[in-house]
Amino acid sequence: MSDPAATQPGGSAGFGPDLAEVFGPARLQPSDEDGGPDLVQLLTPEGERVRHPAFDIEFSEAELRGFYRDMVLVRRLDIEATALQRHGELGIWAQLLGQEAAQIGAGRALRPHDFVFPTYREHGVAWCRGLDPLKLLGLFRGVDHGNWDPAEYGFGLYTIVIGAQTLHATGYAMGMQRDGVVGTGDPDRDAAVLAHFGDGASSQGDVNESFIFAASYNAPVVFFCQNNQWAISEPIERQSRIPLYQRALGFGFPGVRVDGNDVLATYAVTRAALQRARDGQGPTFVEAYTYRMGAHTTTDDPTRYRLSADVEHWKLKDPIARLEVYLKRNGLAEEAFFSDLAAEADELGHTLREGCKAMPDPQPLDIFDRVYADTPEELAAQRDGFAAYLASFEGAH
Amino acid sequence: MTERTVQKVTLAKGLNLGLRKAMEADDKVLLMGEDVGKLGGVFRITDGLQKDFGEDRVIDSPLAESGIVGTAVGLAMRGYRPVVEIQFDGFVYPAYDQIVCQVAKIHFRSQGRVKMPMVIRIPFGGGIGAVEHHSESPEAQFAHTPGLKVVACSNPVDGYWMIQQAIAHDDPVIFLEPKRQYHADKADLDEAATPGPLFASRVVRQGSDATVLAYGPTVKTCLRAAEAAAGEGRSLEVIDLRTLSPLDMAPVLDSVRRTGRAVVVHEAHANLGMGAELAARITEECFYSLEAPVLRVGGFDTPYPASRLEEEWLPDIDRVLDAVDRSLGF
Amino acid sequence: MPEYKLPDVGEGLTEAEIVTWKVKVGDVVAVNDVVVEIETAKSLVELPSPYAGEVTAILVAEGETVQVGTPIIAIGAGEMADRSVGAPAPAQDAMEIDLSNPAASGGGEGESLVGRMKADRGPMRRPRRGSASPSSEAAAATQMQVQGSFYPGGAQSQSVVEQDEPAVPAVDVRADAPPADVRVLAKPPVRKLAKDLGVDLRSLTPSGPGGTVTRADVEAAMTGALAGDARPVDGRAAAEGPGGVSRPGERETREPIKGVRKMMAAAMVDSAFTAPHVTEWVTVDATATVELVERLKKRRELRDRKVTPLLVIAKAALLAIRRTPLVNSTWDEAAGEIVLKHYVNLGIAAATPRGLVVPNVKDADAMSLPALAGALEELTSTAREGRTQPAEMAGGTFTITNVGVFGVDGGTPIINPGESAILCVGAIKEQPWVVDGQVVPRQVMTLTLSFDHRHIDGATGSQFLADVAGVVADPASALLLS
Repeated sequence: MSDPAATQPGGSAGFGPDLAEVFGPARLQPSDEDGGPDLVQLLTPEGERVRHPAFDIEFSEAELRGFYRDMVLVRRLDIEATALQRHGELGIWAQLLGQEAAQIGAGRALRPHDFVFPTYREHGVAWCRGLDPLKLLGLFRGVDHGNWDPAEYGFGLYTIVIGAQTLHATGYAMGMQRDGVVGTGDPDRDAAVLAHFGDGASSQGDVNESFIFAASYNAPVVFFCQNNQWAISEPIERQSRIPLYQRALGFGFPGVRVDGNDVLATYAVTRAALQRARDGQGPTFVEAYTYRMGAHTTTDDPTRYRLSADVEHWKLKDPIARLEVYLKRNGLAEEAFFSDLAAEADELGHTLREGCKAMPDPQPLDIFDRVYADTPEELAAQRDGFAAYLASFEGAH
Repeated sequence: MTERTVQKVTLAKGLNLGLRKAMEADDKVLLMGEDVGKLGGVFRITDGLQKDFGEDRVIDSPLAESGIVGTAVGLAMRGYRPVVEIQFDGFVYPAYDQIVCQVAKIHFRSQGRVKMPMVIRIPFGGGIGAVEHHSESPEAQFAHTPGLKVVACSNPVDGYWMIQQAIAHDDPVIFLEPKRQYHADKADLDEAATPGPLFASRVVRQGSDATVLAYGPTVKTCLRAAEAAAGEGRSLEVIDLRTLSPLDMAPVLDSVRRTGRAVVVHEAHANLGMGAELAARITEECFYSLEAPVLRVGGFDTPYPASRLEEEWLPDIDRVLDAVDRSLGF
Repeated sequence: MPEYKLPDVGEGLTEAEIVTWKVKVGDVVAVNDVVVEIETAKSLVELPSPYAGEVTAILVAEGETVQVGTPIIAIGAGEMADRSVGAPAPAQDAMEIDLSNPAASGGGEGESLVGRMKADRGPMRRPRRGSASPSSEAAAATQMQVQGSFYPGGAQSQSVVEQDEPAVPAVDVRADAPPADVRVLAKPPVRKLAKDLGVDLRSLTPSGPGGTVTRADVEAAMTGALAGDARPVDGRAAAEGPGGVSRPGERETREPIKGVRKMMAAAMVDSAFTAPHVTEWVTVDATATVELVERLKKRRELRDRKVTPLLVIAKAALLAIRRTPLVNSTWDEAAGEIVLKHYVNLGIAAATPRGLVVPNVKDADAMSLPALAGALEELTSTAREGRTQPAEMAGGTFTITNVGVFGVDGGTPIINPGESAILCVGAIKEQPWVVDGQVVPRQVMTLTLSFDHRHIDGATGSQFLADVAGVVADPASALLLS
């Protein structure tokens, strides 16, 4: 029998067309430092306001100053918490340095009835939801696993297992559908879910499954991915050969890449995506293209795996600096605004330090009553035995 | 004549040297996991290895534990010997399906035609002040799974030898490393020495009043408890189990027949932990030698607490000695 | 002066090297100014100051490696203000240790996570309240209760050992449970011993803590040792006779040491090497007793009974015990007490097909002579048939052993464990005796008494022996012993 490879014309050894050329992504691009041509941007790194045909919105002066203030204070919160770890007051801290715009932009697009599922780094979104930043410190101090009621703030507890929360978000959104708060047209009623995760998480099975479920049920969830380019030491190239926002198409819903260091664009895109969800149009994937300026956490040492040149390159795209330039150049904020804000930041730092150190330690016996809604007798007995044991030591009261 | 190299190493260093040796000995040995290559691992266990052995053999994986173990299964079927790192004990669960349904069962399924010579390294245990999911002790779940072998080192020298032996072993080994010991105590490592067998428990302190059984992080705790007990006029025999599946019961039974009393100490929850199996076996084999029931000291039956409570939650010297008191009181 | 202690910057690090100091003594620093660069097992880290103020001391030199929790720099006393705000400085006052949470006192004394890897107490226990280890039963019980409670299944032990309840036998605690439903408590080794010897644990009075049957209880039950032939525990004949395996022409025969023999040996050893034995004897003219026996046989009350000199001697002993009750006592080593019994369970040593047995007649001292005769008769016939129950062998307070049946005069009998004296009765033989200055043949016997010289002195022992001998020589003197 003759060998087909020897007789067929065209493609790879005569086995048909070049599949990549005909059926694959047109060009397999490595991660583009500038974000690629689809990047939605409304404020350049140099502080220039630009227009985007799809997101033509105006911002008031107060809104702009508000964004700026939010980012400055959140950055300060992050810096203080990092320092507190070095002081020995926190066991660890996950820094958001560089990602302020992505989080404030998304956070400010939320409405009161919306619900957020964070990872463990969304301190800026927590800020927007009205959570006292001191509450975030408890987890990192080792005092609790998250000391707020998710229902009160519309903000879930931090999830340490990577990506698990995206499935929770999808399920919560499915619950909203059944509660009749999706697509009614009533802005005071309609709600959506904002699901946070990172570029690394996009590799986890759970995250991909959440896309599948959300698409299948048309769930009102915005999948907000902060692509900060790094999963500890692993660059985005290890996680994906294609820009992350393009994956969404594969699952059947729209994907948008926004400049994650541009608070205006992030706000605009997230607002649109959330509204789409509230309207009953289903999920959207928003990729906030940004950079993790600090370490993965305070236990990490980025000097071991990335070049300082990369970091320097991104310093030029700082989210706060560009807005500051814009405000100052256009006379949108007085000198007093900046000095008052600096004082407010100092005050915040002081409050955090004092509050952190004053945090009461957890009580060993409390944990037994928190395992179940209905505590079994044998566990209660274990608690009582432990109580007696603790009381048997010198110095116990 | 070979030069004897003896150096003081931590557990992290011992494992690092052992991994290096294993990779030098066999080209088919691969390391894979999150951040193991460029970074050298979040605990630096694989430090320097990618530089020397290349990216094809020391592989930084996407963030997906199931994916890592699942692809390791395929590599093993292709004739490689993958050494998988799970970054923290609490993150093994996405891979649990692959481990229990595939890694553990393929040899059985294929009637021995397909082997799974894989090592899954898991830093386990608490005491490092970490957040949730970083201080778990899931070993019983794996020991309960036929088809897997489970070992736990407790010190740098064992780390060095056991990792090499596990890699050379043809069955899948869950290799547990007490993370609180990684950068803690140092020991003299003589690379020219001859190690004992992998699946063997070892008496690490001789005694006559009671037998204390431990593995991984609690070995040190029990040795210190024995020191304290000696000051009270009591002689405790401490055994480092080292292997949890299969269990090496011979030294344990021999010891209990002499002392008549046994106490098992582990960080894992007492309920249905390794101590339960040991208690059952000891009771069955040493029934007429027992002066007291086998007692277990373990973590409480709650999820691992916020780290400010962990030292109270974990078994410590006092909890161990209380159990010894109770045993001697029968 | 606030000191900045070296923190654990990276999940489980225990030490770090001071690489470069960024400040020197006299410099004034603000909160979060970088003061030093350290190197850990994982990386190089810059540390920001927790305090504002003047650097007063650098406590660790560059190049040195120190443990987490070690003070590395002292800052303060100069400008104590938190420079960034006009507020008071965050001086690290020693915070009160929350004693209800001992965990907080590791390393940083509850102030910070520094040195949280619990400050090395060294290999020693934390001090307990009161005594270091429980000295009292109640304390030990509490401790066991405490420990038992938070071990799996430990909740059970809480209910069994109530605090403050004295260590009485299980009978009290389990008053509600019908005895048959409650399994006898005994440790595995004790069960095995009982099983090997054919002793039924249910028939014993437990003397161990928590109402457990102890090894001693089992051994005591076998005193005089009869294997449980009536109620073998598992159906197998627990004891075998002296017959062993023997092959014709063999020079040796080996018989296993078990069953009755083993128990008897244990009892003998126990008794002989615990109680200092003193043995006294008296040779007495028993003619009057022999004649009395003949007369008693004819009496209506005793017509159907077996009347022997042993009966008279037994009665004499019972009467003599009243005057010297110490010979009817127990030396209780554990309690540190001598227990005087107000009853006499009179044991009679008997030879049986299975070996030596010492069943006793309960409350023999309260019996009339006919009743006593009947009891002794039944006792010996039961023993000869090998049907003596363990309960009949337990609880004896005084023993009589009759070597006279073998024609033997006397010996050095070994006291039954748990008792304090044993009377050995020799054969009655016609022997020359002096009566009124003449040498005449009389019925003569020797009475021997071994007694525990720990609590029975020569006077007491002799008195008892003399009393018994007195009755044997002249039965009427029994009237004086009543």
